[in-house]
Amino acid sequence: MSVLRVEGLRKTYGKLEALKGIDFEVRPGEVFALIGPNGAGKTTALRICATLLTVTDGKVTFLERDLRKEPDFVREKISYLPEEAGAYKNMKGLDYLKFMAAFYAGTSAEEKEFVERAVEITDLGPRLQDKVGTFSKGMTRKILLARALMTKPVLAILDEPTSGLDVLNALEVRAMVRRYVREGTSVLLSSHNMLEIEFLSDRVALIDHGRILDTGTPAGLKDTHKANNLEEVFRSAVQ
Amino acid sequence: MKRFMNLLRKEIRELVTAQLVVSLVFMVVLFNFIGRTSRKEVEKAMGTQPIAVLDLDGSVSSQGLVKGLESANFKVASMAGKTKDEAVRDARASESKLLLVIPEGFGDSLQGLESRQVETYSFMRSFSLIGARTQIVVRAVLSALNDAASDGFLREKLPGLDPDSLKNPIRAKDFVLVRDRMAEGSPNMVAGLVSSQSMLIPIVLMMIVIYSSQMVISAVAMEKQNKTLETLLTVPIRRTSIITAKMLSAGLVGLISAFVYMAGFRSFMGGLGADEVQAAAGQPGADIMRQLGLTFDTTGYLVLGAALFLAILTALSMAMILGVLAEDFRSAQNMIMPLILMVMVPYFISIFADMASLSTPIKVLILAIPFSHPFLVPQNLYLGNYGLILGGLAYMLVVFVILVGFAAKVFSSDKILTMKLRFGKKRSAAAA
Repeated sequence: MSVLRVEGLRKTYGKLEALKGIDFEVRPGEVFALIGPNGAGKTTALRICATLLTVTDGKVTFLERDLRKEPDFVREKISYLPEEAGAYKNMKGLDYLKFMAAFYAGTSAEEKEFVERAVEITDLGPRLQDKVGTFSKGMTRKILLARALMTKPVLAILDEPTSGLDVLNALEVRAMVRRYVREGTSVLLSSHNMLEIEFLSDRVALIDHGRILDTGTPAGLKDTHKANNLEEVFRSAVQ
Repeated sequence: MKRFMNLLRKEIRELVTAQLVVSLVFMVVLFNFIGRTSRKEVEKAMGTQPIAVLDLDGSVSSQGLVKGLESANFKVASMAGKTKDEAVRDARASESKLLLVIPEGFGDSLQGLESRQVETYSFMRSFSLIGARTQIVVRAVLSALNDAASDGFLREKLPGLDPDSLKNPIRAKDFVLVRDRMAEGSPNMVAGLVSSQSMLIPIVLMMIVIYSSQMVISAVAMEKQNKTLETLLTVPIRRTSIITAKMLSAGLVGLISAFVYMAGFRSFMGGLGADEVQAAAGQPGADIMRQLGLTFDTTGYLVLGAALFLAILTALSMAMILGVLAEDFRSAQNMIMPLILMVMVPYFISIFADMASLSTPIKVLILAIPFSHPFLVPQNLYLGNYGLILGGLAYMLVVFVILVGFAAKVFSSDKILTMKLRFGKKRSAAAA
């Protein structure tokens, strides 16, 4: 059983067709990546899977349940990290994590467990007592990633998870994502960083102009397209 | 419910910022300061006023005039022995606000049944209305002395006749009818009493609607500006709960802000003498209002409360939709303008115009604005137009249901992320 299955997904904004019938699936415990140029439809696909945008045509199922019919069920089990996300600036870092944990936790013990996990992920220590408005971009990104992973979601949808992070922080984040995948979370992500994709992803879909051009493991795609890296794979697929 | 309360707490915390508390405290302190200062000025104007008198006559009549001024709470400084120019110069240099010059022959003229002119010189050291009060009081004293003098002449020349009957052969006894009730009084007085009785209602309504709407628009716009909206929309809480939490928090904070504002405003009005005016109307005024049925009973207050409540809900749902259209906090400030206008128009109409005398198209236009109805409730309650009141309440309810339904639909659709009204910018495609 796949965690997420997307079949013939179409999305239009008026006359603009952002997705032209795409198919992919995210299997349990895998990292599935969507790669493509700006405007290819990656974020639109991710937003639809996160229940933010509606489906124009096609079918999206999460754990065999129709996303259109049961969005509340989906929201209970997933977490979404948008590319350009922010946190409430007037809240202290710790209060923000508590606020978000309260939506997912059934009991106060569970809420405490989520927050403790998030504190560990952020590794921000006493800075969590400061207001989010005083955080650097990297610190904010870490707290948002912690928010997305603290509940150990069935599916984490991460749009450019290391966007704006320096090399060391990006390495930490990638290690953290892999750790949570080992613990059972599936990940659907998009990134422009091909090195990151190669390091993190089990399977990759190449998307361009709202269409999926090819899907496979990074190694398999490189073999098929006789390429040395994913950038060359992508160039070959587009041509 | 736990999730809703979690969100509601966050919304309230986001709205009650240090800036809001400081601005409210500042407003109350400012109003209180202006009120106290005005009160002191009024008290000064009502207290003993220094005036100068140059009595060039020195007769019994002129001395009577001076005594009359002293008994009217004036501190009279005599300019005896000076010329008119010297008196003007000295009075101007002193603290006197007015110089009264009683000409030579004043007493003889009065004895000879001839009118005689006195001169007043007012020293305008400021242009406040309270400052001009001195001359009004002097005129009143002169008028009282004129009456006393003319009554004396009439009694002397026409003994046995009542001078008052001679001067005012026709008298009027005024009655006012409201629906089937009647009371003795003038329509001016009744209109004044009704106006002062319900003066605060439109101001309270206007303040609450403006405050609450501004808060809900800002709450949605800030979520967009800080890029927290997308995350909020994917947490496991119903979209209707998000709308309700935002509206409820804005309503509560708006209500508290408006009441704090009103407390400050009341302190300001008290300083301007509104309390004294109300006290002066006193028991007879209250009796007339009771006789005419122009007071609110429990049902009246409930109906008024329902109208205010529905107006607030309607404003909040309208503001919620406008907030979705706003791109950021700055554009949210522009979005609030149409809403403020929709409140201001009926507010001014309720003060300056009579709905009944307006032409039908304008009347329809005014009644189509949902916020007009609470302004009209007091008047319709007094006149027993219960059909209009119920119609207004029903209309507001329908508008609210439509708007909140639309807001819920917007929040449950792509429009929450794609609907934008930009000022001075072209629309761009929403797809990424």
